[in-house]
Amino acid sequence: MINLSVPTINDQPGDFDVLFSLWQQTQENEIKVRFDFSQCNFLRQNAVAFLGGLANMIESKDGKVEFMWDTMKKEVRKNLAKNGFVYRFSGGTPARKGNSIPYREDKVQDKDGLMNYLRKDWLGRDWVHISELVQEAITGRVWEIYTNAFEHGKSTIGIYSCGQHYPRWRELALTVVDFGVGIPANVRSHLQQSEYSADEAMKWASTPGNTTKPKEDIPGGVGLGLLKDFVEINKGYLEIFSHEGYLNIGHGRETFLKRDLFFKGTLVNIKFKCDNKLYLLTSEQTTEPISF
Amino acid sequence: MNIVILGIVGENAVTLDDGEKIYQKIIPALNAEEKVDIDFTGVKVFASPFFNSAIGRLLKDFSGEILNRYLSFNNLNPIGTEVLKRVIENSKQFYSKPEVQKAVEQTISQRSQDH
Repeated sequence: MINLSVPTINDQPGDFDVLFSLWQQTQENEIKVRFDFSQCNFLRQNAVAFLGGLANMIESKDGKVEFMWDTMKKEVRKNLAKNGFVYRFSGGTPARKGNSIPYREDKVQDKDGLMNYLRKDWLGRDWVHISELVQEAITGRVWEIYTNAFEHGKSTIGIYSCGQHYPRWRELALTVVDFGVGIPANVRSHLQQSEYSADEAMKWASTPGNTTKPKEDIPGGVGLGLLKDFVEINKGYLEIFSHEGYLNIGHGRETFLKRDLFFKGTLVNIKFKCDNKLYLLTSEQTTEPISF
Repeated sequence: MNIVILGIVGENAVTLDDGEKIYQKIIPALNAEEKVDIDFTGVKVFASPFFNSAIGRLLKDFSGEILNRYLSFNNLNPIGTEVLKRVIENSKQFYSKPEVQKAVEQTISQRSQDH
């Protein structure tokens, strides 16, 4: 049995390094892991989604996971109880969600379940002041993240999500993580370019029209562009981690980086303002009819 | 011919599989040179996989001119319109790539040999 300490995890670059380091330390088959939270004061939604997926990954390789609930500070435990994480991993009574957005596991693409999650649990809450049309627009864009994860991720253990509301910044965040093959592996295989670096591969994958879609006679490569545009014009924030590749869109910039720590799957972290006044539905609203 | 999307896929038009259902309804009508009215009344959420599979793919088999003549989109909200326009633009570029054209020609030739 190995003990791994989970510290306070926010969503700065170093916090993702902590998560990816935990992933790297738990790669062996039949590993027994005990997660200790005594150094943890807070876990953001990225940490909750990632730790849930990590526990599933370890168990899928015949390992064992123990969350040391008694090492958790009261507020951390309360947050994990509210979002359903405690119930998922230790049973007991299902949580009343209160102000939190549930932790979620998807083994298969469940359209209705996911739509319900995005529209009701994430965007349909009292604190989100957006019109129904904007809610539907955001749902469609965020669906593109799930589609990419299901179509390209090749995760054998599913996809993990968690959201969070940050009243101080009037922000709504969502993290979606899969433990599949990762974007760079798909791009290298598709282009037969094994020397492509992770950040080059991410750049290729985010170029409009480029896709590693398995059904080759159906066009693709539109979803990420739609999501990026929506995030940009609405002053949101999007970041994608896959292998050592990193894409960050926000504050009027698009940045690709090669990071030090490798994580085989793909993690998408997205933030929106939950304030109606800021929203523009599209940057290209025209009255021109649809034409081929 | 009238296709009511809400009745076939519900209010979320987002998946490849749902797009496939619509594609399978459009194709015979277009082959019979029949006009197709696609009605989106009540459909609320749109994503690119649905339109890629239902509409974008038609550009593999039919020219833009034919599709403009025979297809009409009714009651599509501004969000759906934006996604569909982007998908059509992308499909035009996709099927104009030489490697894709070659693959499509091979498929058509294989189909005619099979028959």
